[in-house]
Amino acid sequence: MIENPWVWGAVSGLVVVNVFMGVAAWSIWFERKFAGRMQNRPGPTQVGPFGLLQPVADLLKLLQKEDITPKNADAVLFNIAPPLGLLTVLGGMAVFPWGPGAWVPADLDVGILFTLSIASLMTIPVWMAGWASNNKYALIGGMRAAAQAVSFEVPLLLSALVPIILGGSFKLGDIVAAQADGAWFALWPPGPGAVAFLLFLLCSLAEANRIPFDIPEAESELVAGITTEYIGMKFGLFYLAEYMHTLIGSFLGAALFLGGWDGPGPDGVHWLVAKGLGLFALIFWIRWSLLRYRADQFMSVCWKILVPVALCTVSAAAVWKVYA
Amino acid sequence: MNALLTAWAALRVTGLNLFRAMNTEPLPWHGGRARPERFRTSFALVHNEDGDEACIGCKMCEKICPSQIITVVPGGRAPSPNTGKPRGTAKDFVLDMNACIHCELCVQVCPEDAILMLRVPETPGYTREDLVLTMDKLYKNEPLEKSWGTGARLVGMQEAGQPKPAPKPAPAAKAAPSEAAPPSPEAGS
Amino acid sequence: MAVAHHEGAAVAPVGPVPTVVRPWPDPYLDPETHEAEGDLMVMNLGPQHPSTHGVFRVKLWLDGEVCIKAVPYPGYLHRGVEKLCEKLSYVQIPPIVDKNDYVSPFINELAVCMAFEALNAVEPPRRSQYLRTLGAEMQRVASHLLWLGTFGMDMGGALGGGASVFMHCFRERETILDCYELWTGSRFHYNTLTVGGNRHDVPAGFAELVKRTYRAIRDRAHEYDAMLVDNAIFRARTVGVGRVDAQLAMELGVSGPILRASGVDWDLRRDQPYAAYGEVQLNVPVRSGGDCLARYEVRMAELLESIRIVLDLVDGIPEGPIAALKPVKLPGAFKGKAGQAYVAVESPRGELGTWVIADGSDKPYRCKIRPPSYHAMSLLPYLAPGSNLSDIIVTLGSLDPILGEVDR
Repeated sequence: MIENPWVWGAVSGLVVVNVFMGVAAWSIWFERKFAGRMQNRPGPTQVGPFGLLQPVADLLKLLQKEDITPKNADAVLFNIAPPLGLLTVLGGMAVFPWGPGAWVPADLDVGILFTLSIASLMTIPVWMAGWASNNKYALIGGMRAAAQAVSFEVPLLLSALVPIILGGSFKLGDIVAAQADGAWFALWPPGPGAVAFLLFLLCSLAEANRIPFDIPEAESELVAGITTEYIGMKFGLFYLAEYMHTLIGSFLGAALFLGGWDGPGPDGVHWLVAKGLGLFALIFWIRWSLLRYRADQFMSVCWKILVPVALCTVSAAAVWKVYA
Repeated sequence: MNALLTAWAALRVTGLNLFRAMNTEPLPWHGGRARPERFRTSFALVHNEDGDEACIGCKMCEKICPSQIITVVPGGRAPSPNTGKPRGTAKDFVLDMNACIHCELCVQVCPEDAILMLRVPETPGYTREDLVLTMDKLYKNEPLEKSWGTGARLVGMQEAGQPKPAPKPAPAAKAAPSEAAPPSPEAGS
Repeated sequence: MAVAHHEGAAVAPVGPVPTVVRPWPDPYLDPETHEAEGDLMVMNLGPQHPSTHGVFRVKLWLDGEVCIKAVPYPGYLHRGVEKLCEKLSYVQIPPIVDKNDYVSPFINELAVCMAFEALNAVEPPRRSQYLRTLGAEMQRVASHLLWLGTFGMDMGGALGGGASVFMHCFRERETILDCYELWTGSRFHYNTLTVGGNRHDVPAGFAELVKRTYRAIRDRAHEYDAMLVDNAIFRARTVGVGRVDAQLAMELGVSGPILRASGVDWDLRRDQPYAAYGEVQLNVPVRSGGDCLARYEVRMAELLESIRIVLDLVDGIPEGPIAALKPVKLPGAFKGKAGQAYVAVESPRGELGTWVIADGSDKPYRCKIRPPSYHAMSLLPYLAPGSNLSDIIVTLGSLDPILGEVDR
C-alpha cells in the first residue's frame, strides 16, 4: 500500500509538513531564549516550564485577533498572499532527502533546482502583500524584496552549482551520497566548497530576510515592511513562512555542503537534523549581532562581490572535477 | 574580507554575553529586588505616636503639589480621643495618583510627617478609580514598608550644616511646631 | 554664574558668520522642489513610527526611495511646560521640567534652578555645586548610553544586532539609574535640585556604588565599539551620511555634540563654566567630519570623558551644607526678584538655556526654555533631501532628538 505513490505522497507530506511546522514554531521559542541570553535577559519564562508553551500562547493570541482587511486594499491579493507564502516554502520540502534510501518524499531528478526555484517564488506573495496592502511602507518593502530577490538569487544559484558539479548530479540524494564518509563539500576539495558554503549561508540570510540583509522589512525604516497592514494569523503565516525559510536554508546548506545524513557512527536523519539546527542557530547568532545594510549597498555587495566570487568558485570546482 | 572579520568581532561580543549573568530584575511575584531606603512610590497617611491621625488638615501639601492632585477637606479643631488635647483634623483627603509625578514635595512640606511615600512597588489598577487614593486607602497603606523620607528628615537634610542665624538645637524639631501653628486657624475656619 | 550668553568672555573660535550668500538652498522655499512635488510619493514618517524617537512627524516627498524634500512637524508631544511655569511657583517648577528632556532630567533641573538662582543672586554652597556637577556628568553618561542604544536600533533593527546593542546599553544605564535611586529615591524624575541647592545629600555607600558602576561601564566600552563603529556595515551606513556644515549648524543654532562633530570647538562646560566645572579638568572631543560617524565618535569620546570626570569627582566632594536657603514650605513663601536672567548649561544634546523674566511675585512672569534638540531637528530639512530613506533614519538618529524637549 505504501508503494502507491499517492499514499506515499500524502503520508510523507503530512509528516514533513507537520513536523516542520512544529519545529518552526518552537524555533521561535528557541530564538527568543537565545537572543535573550545574548542580551543578558531570560527570554520567555512565564508560559510553561522555561516558557516552552510560549508558541502555543502566541498562536492562540494570533488566532483571537480581529481579521482586518484595510480599506481600499486589494482584498483578494491581500488575503491569499500569506497562505501562498507558506505554500511556496512548504513546497521546497517535497524533494528533501532526510536519510539514505527511501527517506525522501518525492525523489525528483532535478531536486535541488526544484527546491531553490520554489523557494525563490516567495518573492511573489511578498510583492503581492506589499502591493495589495495599500500602504506606502508595505509598497516600499515589497519593491525592496523584489529588487533584493533579483540580486541574491544569482549568487545563491551559483553557489549551489558547486555541489552540483562536485556531486555530478542535480538529485539532492546523489549530492549527499557523494559526500559519504566525511568527504563533505565544505571541507573537500579545499577552497571552492568552503567559499561556496559561506556564499550559500549569506544568500540564505537574504532569502529569509535576516539581518544583515533584512531590508524588505527593515523595522526601523519601514515599520514592518510588507507585514505592516497584516494582523492576527495572516501576519502569523508570514512570520512562520520566514522561519521555515530559514530552516530550509539551513537544512539545504547541511545537505549540500555538510554531508547531510553522513557523520561519525551510524548515518541517518539525526545527523542531518543536528547539522541543520546548528546552522539555524548560527543564522540566529548572526542575526542578533550584526547591523543592516542599506538596500543599494546590499545590491552592490551582491553584484560586485558575491557574484564574481561565486563565479570563481564555480570555475574552480569545474577545474577540480575535470583534472582531479 | 574586512566585513567578515569585523562581523566576527560583533559575533564574539554577543557570544560572550551568552555566558554573562542576567541583569534583569526578578518579577515582583518572584521576589523582586531590594530597593534603597529612599525609594518612593505610592502614598500612605499615618497615625502619630499618640494614636491620632497625624494629618491636621493644614492643606500645605495641597498647595505645594505641582500637579494639584491633592484635595484636603479640613475637619476643624477637635479634642483628640487619645490625649484630649485639641488638634486639627482632616475630614477628607484624596490623592489622585493618575497625575502624580512623585516629586516628594508634599512629604517635604508636611509639618506633622503625616503623609509618607511607600517603598513597595506600585501595583497596577484596572480602572482609573483604582489610582485615586481616598483617605481610607491611604490609611490602609500605613502598615506597608515606607520610604525613608519624612517631612522632618527631608527638611533636616537640607538644613544640615547651614549656618544658623538664631536657633541652634534640632532644626527639624524646631521647625515642626512653628510651621504647624499658622495653618491651624485656617484649618479651624 | 549668571552669565548671559552675549556677555560671556569666551567666543566660539570660528570664522565670520555669512551675511550675504546662503550656500545651501532653503528647503522650504526652493521652487524646484515645489514644482516636483506633484509627481512624488508623499510619505508621512511618523507620528507613530519606531524610529522617530517619540511622536514626531516628517513629511517626506520621495522619488523612489530618495527624498526630495522633507518638512518636519513637531508638536505632538506639546504639554505646555512654559505656560505651566508661569502658573507654578519657583519651588514647584523643577519637578515639572524634569519631563522636558526625559533622558537627562537632572540637567533640566539644573538649568532651571540655575536660572532662578541667577535671577535672585543666590549662590548654592560648594558641596551642592560639586554634587550638581557629579549628577550632571552621571546623567550625561546615561543619556549618551541611551542614544547609543537607539542609534544602534535605528541601524540594526528591533530584531537584530541593533537590539542587542540597545539591550546592552540599557543594562549599563539601569545600573546608573540604580545610583540615582540610592541618591534621590527615584530612578528618573528625581526632583533633587531646588532653588539654592540640592534636596538630597548623597547617602552612605554612594561613592562605592558609583565607582563600581562607572568602572564597569568604562571597561565594557570597547564592546560597543566592536558591535558598532568597528563594524564594516556601520561604517558603510554612517561615513559621509548626514554631513552637517559647521556654518549651517551655527546659523541654525545647533550646539553640543553635533556642532563639535562639525569641527567647532565649543562646550559651555569649559568655555562658560558653571557649577563646579571651573575646577574640573575637562577635555572636549572635537571631530571635523560632520557626518554620522563623527557624531558617534564625539558622543562616545564624551561618554568616556564623563566617566572619567565622575570617577575623579566622586571622592572629592567637599563637606558642607547642600542648600543655601531654608526649604520652602509654602509655594508663595519664595518671592523672586524682578528682572530677567538667561542661563545656559551643556546638556548631552547641547546648549540647554532657560530665560526667566520675573515681576517680583512668587511665580516667573515668563520662562522660556531653549531646547537643544529643537535646533538639532531643524537640520533635518537640510540633511534629508537627496538621501535615501534608510539614511534619513540614521541621520535622524544621529541628531539625538528628544521629542519631549522639542515640543515641551
